[in-house]
Amino acid sequence: MKIQVFAVLKEYFDKEFELGDDITDIASLQSHLSCLNASAQGILQLCRFAVHDEFVDHDFTITKNDTICIFPPSSGG
Amino acid sequence: MIRSAYSHQAAVAELSEISAGPLDVVGLLAAAHHPKAGAVVLFSGEVRNHNEGMAVDYLEYEAHESMATKMIKAIIADANQKWPLNIAVAQHRTGKVTVGETAVIVITASAHRGEAYAANQYIIDRIKHEAPIWKCEYFSDGTKKWGSNCHC
Repeated sequence: MKIQVFAVLKEYFDKEFELGDDITDIASLQSHLSCLNASAQGILQLCRFAVHDEFVDHDFTITKNDTICIFPPSSGG
Repeated sequence: MIRSAYSHQAAVAELSEISAGPLDVVGLLAAAHHPKAGAVVLFSGEVRNHNEGMAVDYLEYEAHESMATKMIKAIIADANQKWPLNIAVAQHRTGKVTVGETAVIVITASAHRGEAYAANQYIIDRIKHEAPIWKCEYFSDGTKKWGSNCHC
């Protein structure tokens, strides 16, 4: 699956990267990323996740063909 | 020749919610007239030269363009449900925006000013907090910081 991160998350991860197929839902993705970079754990707790341009909950099932976008808290305006 | 204000309305209707180039504040205001509206409210969110005691040189805005577009459209649709508006449009910048430039514009028009003011504030508040758009502040001392909206 492909992961895209935005804004401050780019200071913790590549803007876009691939992950293995063993991750099955958003909650496990969040845990996996926190393990990859422990310093991102706090910001990851505040993030929203989107698949196919729709926000999804933590129990949303993800598959190998999905692109998951991870959004830190908005700061527009 | 004096051009009718209403001939500009197509420009407002076709406005893209996210723009990589400068926002045409004056042009949008010129287009934002409606025969049934007695009040037009324009909010221009601009880049100021300081934040939290630091001198700011410029901001860079990043957006998830398709989702931000969809969300701004939905926020405007919600505002149209809540108030009787004749015009409700919003546009947000991406990329580098320098001090004094407009980063976001919201225009609302209604029969009376109360609805236009209330809807305008509703739209900008929701855009700031909900749309997937982020600012990075570039300070005069050479440092930078991804922003948060905790204080506004």
